Amino acid sequence: MPVIELSYSRLQKLIGKVSKKQISDSLPFLGLDIESEDKDLVRIEYSPNRPDYSTDIGIALGLQGLLGIKTGLLKLTVKSSKNYTITVKPTVSKIRPFVTGIIAKNGKIDDKTIKQLMTMQEDLHFGIGRKRKKSSIGIHDLDKISFPLTYTTVDKNHKFIPLNSEKELSISEIISDTETGKDYGHLLGQSSKVPIIIDSNKNTVSFPPIINAGITTVTTKTKNLFVEVTGINKADAEDMLSVVATILQSAGFSLENIQISGAKNSSPKLQEKKLSIDSSLINQTLGLDLSTPKIISSLKKSRLNAISKGKKIVCTIPAYRFDIFGPMDLVEEVALGYGIQNFEPTVSPSQTIGQTNPVSLHLKSLNQTMIGLGFLEALNSSLSSKRVLYEMTNRDSKNIISVLDSKSQEHTILRDSILPGLLENLSRNIHESYPQKMFETGNIFNLEQPISEKINLAVISAHKDANFTEIKSVLQTLLKIGFSIQIQTKTISHSSFKDGHCANIILNGNIIGIIGEIDSTIIENYKIRVPVVGFEISLSESILKSL
Amino acid sequence: MSQVFHDIEKKIINSLKENPIQTPETLENSTQLSPDQIRRGIEWLKLKDLAIVDESKSSVLRLGKNGLDSFEKGLPERRLLNLIKSGPKKLSEIQKELGFVFGPAIGLCRKNNWIETSSDQIILKTIPSELPGEKSLQLIGNNKLPKEQTDKIDLSELLKRPDFILEDIIKNKKISLTQSAKSLDVSNISGAIDVEAEVPEVFVARTHPLKDTIDEIREIFVTLGFSEILGNMTQSSFWNFDALFTPQDHPARELQDTFFLDGISAKKIANPEQIRKVSDSHKKNWRYQWDINEARKMVLRTHTTCVTIKHLAENKPDEARIFSLGRVFRNEKVSYKHLVEFNQIEGIVVGKDANLRNLMGIQREFYKRIGITKIKFWPTFFPYTEPSLQTMVYNEKLGKWIELFGMGIFRPEVTKPLGITKPVLAWGGGIERIAMLKYDLDDVREFYNNNLGWLRSNTKCQ
Repeated sequence: MPVIELSYSRLQKLIGKVSKKQISDSLPFLGLDIESEDKDLVRIEYSPNRPDYSTDIGIALGLQGLLGIKTGLLKLTVKSSKNYTITVKPTVSKIRPFVTGIIAKNGKIDDKTIKQLMTMQEDLHFGIGRKRKKSSIGIHDLDKISFPLTYTTVDKNHKFIPLNSEKELSISEIISDTETGKDYGHLLGQSSKVPIIIDSNKNTVSFPPIINAGITTVTTKTKNLFVEVTGINKADAEDMLSVVATILQSAGFSLENIQISGAKNSSPKLQEKKLSIDSSLINQTLGLDLSTPKIISSLKKSRLNAISKGKKIVCTIPAYRFDIFGPMDLVEEVALGYGIQNFEPTVSPSQTIGQTNPVSLHLKSLNQTMIGLGFLEALNSSLSSKRVLYEMTNRDSKNIISVLDSKSQEHTILRDSILPGLLENLSRNIHESYPQKMFETGNIFNLEQPISEKINLAVISAHKDANFTEIKSVLQTLLKIGFSIQIQTKTISHSSFKDGHCANIILNGNIIGIIGEIDSTIIENYKIRVPVVGFEISLSESILKSL
Repeated sequence: MSQVFHDIEKKIINSLKENPIQTPETLENSTQLSPDQIRRGIEWLKLKDLAIVDESKSSVLRLGKNGLDSFEKGLPERRLLNLIKSGPKKLSEIQKELGFVFGPAIGLCRKNNWIETSSDQIILKTIPSELPGEKSLQLIGNNKLPKEQTDKIDLSELLKRPDFILEDIIKNKKISLTQSAKSLDVSNISGAIDVEAEVPEVFVARTHPLKDTIDEIREIFVTLGFSEILGNMTQSSFWNFDALFTPQDHPARELQDTFFLDGISAKKIANPEQIRKVSDSHKKNWRYQWDINEARKMVLRTHTTCVTIKHLAENKPDEARIFSLGRVFRNEKVSYKHLVEFNQIEGIVVGKDANLRNLMGIQREFYKRIGITKIKFWPTFFPYTEPSLQTMVYNEKLGKWIELFGMGIFRPEVTKPLGITKPVLAWGGGIERIAMLKYDLDDVREFYNNNLGWLRSNTKCQ
């Protein structure tokens, strides 16, 4: 979840009459978690479905509503203008087909606002932009650009001075040498051409989605902005633009529209949408009995507009709230506006009788019997490693199931056996007193279409007198006393066990496991100084078979 | 101190009652115990203030090597005088006869003017009947005499001579009973042992502490009317993500968060209608080209919700209370607060009573039963629930609010494509977090270390 840093004093200025405590008490009820606080600074985690909360300006809008300072929908006022046009050439359609944008004029930008706009841009790129793949933003100093603009493609030897560079670089150089080029160059695919926004003087404005031109950089002296969003989907690009437009208008800018045309592109509408909802759905879902006016005022506190129309409530939703899909989302807006802290939890008596799963019940009986036999329960990860599963125990690693890109060396392969993990456990306890007797039940995995999961039991006993007879007695008693099952053991040779001291465990003619004295090379591998005996059986093929 | 006596102690007490002052040696004889047992018994009785051990030092005198030689053969000067008693003898002859005492013998006899020496002969002049020291030598003989008994013996002559008289320092222990011990009747106390003494440790065989917490939680859900369902840990992306309205380009579906199984795809993931309706919902709401091959990719489940949603899609109940409990996986760096594999509990309620206040009520009831009463709810976001909340519980030990279970009502975009028509409440969270609070652990890895030191010493009931 993204985290942003805010200042209480700036929030107070943005919200109006409000104390620091009111702000910190209210933030969680907007769905914002306070990560840490340090005097005036507060770090906040917000949900990626609310990109408008990526700036303090957006959070202030929300808090104004929740605290009842300003409620209802924030209407975007976009002055219609013919001064700004972007023409789109068909060549972009195969690479990054859509561009949209807006003009924001006469704003004041201080350092803090620039910082907020930059984190917003980063968060939008990462979240709804899907790391700039879906859509990406460029914010420019309008006064450095001469309209009309063209969104077109150029060759990779095209040159301009990009952001944070002193000299001209070619597109190829930008892709191979700059940080953003290396990070996002792959989004342009194999095409020999790249998308570019150029102005009427043939100056490069932006090379989306990689980098802006240096000349259009926004500073504290900038008064007028040009915002462009490019992307692979028109609606997604306009969604992103709506967030930026809303934040800029709230920051004091006046918006003007841009005429966009060519190659299936058109000017952004940033339109509000209407959604109607039954108050009965709201009350049923929340377990409340709210009157229609109360519902309407709650929706307004969530910065939406609503009116009553017959039995329905018709809600107006601003463009930047594209997280609202349908009526259930409005139910949540009512809940938030009403205040989660105002909900009184209730308990409705259960109409059902609870049941433990028979598998869990059987495993619990098995646990009790194993404990009665003097064994301690161990727990290991099902995601183990080549070292533990195969290398240390001389086991065959033909059909391993591994996970991709694990961040942990110890967790790369799904276990196909439990016993190796227990041997590893013994090796970590050689300083503890003996006898050491442990068991574990858990899932094991085998490669079938796609994967078979079975439940196994492994048992291990390590002490100076450990021998085959002891462990076979345990196996026999466990199955006989616990589950009235009789098994046989038949000699077998296995790389993990000592020759002549190892047997298959057989139930009704089927091999369900293996038992024996652990081979001395394995014991030496693990630096264990006492003999070890153990067994592993498939519970899915024995005590759990009929379940 | 209770009046408990070891057999050794009893034997010593009884012996001392008969013979009130004894040495360890006499006690050995009278009790037939070994010197070591006597030593230990005396020590125990002394600690219990029942025996007095009077320790003293004394010295004894005895003859040394030269003293003993003279005791047997006579003083060197006596032996010389005896040799010449019957007439003068040659110097060389006497030297041969007396050996190494020849020198001192000649010196003494000359000094006392008992002999005369010519060029090569020794001639007797006079022979005293008793030489100085002779009597004392006889009095000591082979004995060891306490020093105080030698007051009357003139040892001056013998002490002058090397290795004639030796002095030994001897430590003496005299053991007697204290007054309280004398009145003690140990024969009445039979077979009792020191029940207050330290004993060796034995180790209990037991369920794993984390399993205890899991069982406790399972039990609570069952008593609240929930039935347990099970499911696989390996799941297709379809059930883990797509069916839960998580778009295919969602960051949670990247390798760095989720464990994808290398090269493994499921052939059959769901029935054709389920696939069609789920994919339609994605295309319409998330506006992208839904790819069935993405949905086939097998993952280690990131939550137990995939088990729940599969169950609901198959059974479509009008009323139900079910829960699932088991391991889930996240591709994280292992640390004191993160594991790649941990346990999750998830409960759902389907039916007409499924509303937000009831959902909160069930949480309150659950937490009450695990001993947490101070809770509150905050709004949050999950891709598959709307509205969504999280519980914050107050931890007295840490003195702060911590986040536990997440909850919400399944979105229509989740339920509708799968033919689930009734509202579904869902909530869940990690069990290790609760167990950490219970066992006061600050490193979650301890649950899977199988460290016998911890497992053997951890309190079972907390």
